[in-house]
Amino acid sequence: MELCGTHSQTVAQYGIKGILPDNIRLVAGPGCPVCVTDQRDTDSVVGLALEGIPIATYGDMLKVPGTLMSLEKARGSGADVSVVYDVAEALELKSKKPSLVFFGIGFETTAPMTAWAIKNGLAVYSAHKKFLPAMEALLENKKLKIDGFINPGHVSAITGMKNYEKLKVPQVIAGFEATDVLRAISMLLDQIIKGNYSVQNQYQRVVKINGNPRARKIIDEVFETADTNWRGLGKIKKSGLRIRKKFQKQDAEYVFRNFLKKIGRKIIPRPTACKCGEILQGLREPKKCPLFAKVCTPQNPHGPCMVSVEGMCNIEYKYANHWK
Amino acid sequence: MQITGNKIEDVVDLEHGSGGKKSSEMIEQIREILRLRSSWKNIDDDGAVFNLSTLGESDKKLVFTTDAFIIDPIFFPGGDIGKISMCGTINDLAMMGAEPIGISLSLVIEEGFPTADLEKIICSASEISKKAEVPIVTGDTKVTERGKLDKIEITTTGIGVAKFILANSGAKPGDVVISSGDLGEHGAALLAKRFNYKTRIKSDCKPLNEEIRAVAKFLTSAKDPTRGGISAVLNEVSEKSKVKIILEEEKLPFKKEIVAISDLLGIDKFALPSEGRFVATVTTRHAKKVILHLKNFNREAKIIGSVERGRGVHLKTTLGSLRRIEEPEGKTIPRIC
Amino acid sequence: MCLAIPGKIVEIDGEKAIADFHGVKKEINITLVPVKIGDYVMVHAGFAIEKIYPEDSRVNPPTV
Repeated sequence: MELCGTHSQTVAQYGIKGILPDNIRLVAGPGCPVCVTDQRDTDSVVGLALEGIPIATYGDMLKVPGTLMSLEKARGSGADVSVVYDVAEALELKSKKPSLVFFGIGFETTAPMTAWAIKNGLAVYSAHKKFLPAMEALLENKKLKIDGFINPGHVSAITGMKNYEKLKVPQVIAGFEATDVLRAISMLLDQIIKGNYSVQNQYQRVVKINGNPRARKIIDEVFETADTNWRGLGKIKKSGLRIRKKFQKQDAEYVFRNFLKKIGRKIIPRPTACKCGEILQGLREPKKCPLFAKVCTPQNPHGPCMVSVEGMCNIEYKYANHWK
Repeated sequence: MQITGNKIEDVVDLEHGSGGKKSSEMIEQIREILRLRSSWKNIDDDGAVFNLSTLGESDKKLVFTTDAFIIDPIFFPGGDIGKISMCGTINDLAMMGAEPIGISLSLVIEEGFPTADLEKIICSASEISKKAEVPIVTGDTKVTERGKLDKIEITTTGIGVAKFILANSGAKPGDVVISSGDLGEHGAALLAKRFNYKTRIKSDCKPLNEEIRAVAKFLTSAKDPTRGGISAVLNEVSEKSKVKIILEEEKLPFKKEIVAISDLLGIDKFALPSEGRFVATVTTRHAKKVILHLKNFNREAKIIGSVERGRGVHLKTTLGSLRRIEEPEGKTIPRIC
Repeated sequence: MCLAIPGKIVEIDGEKAIADFHGVKKEINITLVPVKIGDYVMVHAGFAIEKIYPEDSRVNPPTV
C-alpha cells in the first residue's frame, strides 16, 4: 500500500502501475489530509465562515463539499474565505483581520508550521493528525491484506524511523521521484520474498533515523494527542493533534465552543452514496463507486477524494487508467 | 504626446467618458499615440473603411475575432494589459492562418484611474501595433464610476485575411507536434509576481503573425496555449481532429525556473499559459524546415510529440510509461498537498 | 500531503532565509532546521523541513 497521497500522484503521473507485473497490486491509502478530514470539521469551519469569521485555508480544502456547502461556495455567498500558501501569509492576513481563523490540516509534515504560527499569535481550527495510528488501524483491518507499506517520505523526515518499528510488516520509506518509488517497491519485494519485516529507508537524502527533533519539539509544545475521527476509518485513538490549554485563546474549537456545539447539533452529515471512506482504506476502487465520473467529477465533486489532487478518485479520473 | 487628466490628481474622471469636449481631447491624444499608416480610410469617422479590392485575388477569406481582457495585475514582468490585449487578438487571427489587417481597441476605464498608467498602456498597445504592422483603426473609450470596475478593461476585435484557413480539426495521424519555443513563461511570471518570488522569468507575450507567416502553409493545426496552457489547447485539437496526441516528456521545453515555480505552488505546468508561443501539428516531411525557421525566433522551437490514430492527449514519461493529460479543470489553486 | 521542493540557502536573516530553487528566489522560514548558506533544504508550505544530503539538489535517487 502506498500511504502518502503524493506517492499516489507519482505513481499516476509516471504510469507506474502499468509497468508493474500483474501480481503486484498497488493500493492507495489514507495519506491525503484533505480526504481524511472528517466532514464535521469541514462543516464547523464552513459554519464559522458563514457566521462572519474570516477564514484562511490552504487551497486544498477550498472545494471540499461540507454537508451544507464548501468553503468556496461559502465565499460565493459572501463569507470571508482566503486561500493562503503558507501560515506566514495567514499571519499577515490576521494583522488586517484580527478575528481570522486558520484551518489547519495535514500530518506531521505540516503540523510544525501551524504550531509555529500559533506561537506567533494565529488562531487555528486544528484538524491535524498523526499518521502512525492510521497505519496501525489499517493493519488491524482483516479485510485488507497488506503485504507492505510504502511509508510517507516527508512525514518520516519529521518523525524519524523508530516509531514505525512496532508495525509487524515490511516497510520502506520512499522519496517522491518515480525512481524512488520503484526502488522502494523493489526493496519491499526483497523483504516479502525473504519473509522478514523491517523498516528500510530509501529516502536517505532527506530522512534521518532520528527525524527532525526541532520540528517534533514544537509540535509537542503546542499540541497534545487526542482521539479523533478520520473520514472512512472512523475514530482512531490518539491520532489527532489538539491545541494545548496553554494556547487556548487561539484554539478556535475552544473560543467558539458554544457556537460549534450548535453547529454540531444543527448540521448532521447525511449518509450519501459517496464511497470515499472505503476508497481511503483501499477497500474499493474509485471506478466502483456509483458516483464516479457519472455525477462526481473534479468540477462537481461529491467527496474529498475527488477534490484533492491527491485523492484517489481525482487521480483515477485525471490519469484515466492507462494501466490495467 | 501625453494623456492629460484631471489637473488636480492626474486621473481619468467621468467627464472623460461623457462624450463632451474633455472626451474628444482624450480620444485625440490616444489617437496621436496610436497613429499608424495603413490602407484604412476614414479612421477619424464613425467607422474605419477598408477597400476589399486592394486585396487582389477574390478567393481570400475574412477572419473576424474578438477578446476581452480583465487581468490582474495590469502591469506584469514583460508587459501590461495594453500589450496582451493586442497580442491576444493578433495571435488569434494568426492561428487561423490569417494576416491581421486591422484592430479595434475598446477601453472601459474606472473613474480615478491614473492617466500616467493609461498612457503607458496605450503606448504598449501602439508598440505592438507598429511591431506587428497591424493598425488600430477604430475604438471606443468609456469611463465608469469608481468601484464599478477594477481599474480597466480592454476589448480588442481584429479582422484578418486568409487564403487558406488553419483549423483545429486538421491534425492527421502521422503528423508531428511542435512548439515554437519555451512554454509557460507568461503564467509563471504572473504567479511569481503574485507570490513574491524573485526570478528573471518574464511574460513571453508577443505577436506571432510574423513568425508563423512563412510556415503556416505547412501546418495542419495551430493554437497559442493561452488560458489552460498546452493541456487545454492540445485536448481541443485532439477532440476536433479526432486524433491521439502523444507528447514526449523529455522533449517538452520548460525552463527550469518554470518547473520550480509550478512545483513550489503545486500547479500543473502543462496548464500554464503562454502568450507568445504556439503549438502546432505539421506534416512530417515539412517538420525540419518549419523548426529551422522558428528557431530564428526562439532557440527552443522543437518537435515535442506525434499524432496517431486514437483519442486524447497522452504523455510518454521519462520512465517510458504512458499516461493521460486531461483538460485542466477550472481555476488553478496553489496547494500544499 | 508531502509536496516539498528542494532549494539552496543563499541568504539568512534570523528565522527567515532566501532559498534559490533553480533560479527562483523565495523567502522561507528556517525555524525547524539549523542551516548555513550553501545548504540544500527540502521546503514544504514555506518552511524548511530538513536538510538534503548529498549536495546535489536535483536529488539524483539511486537507480532501480
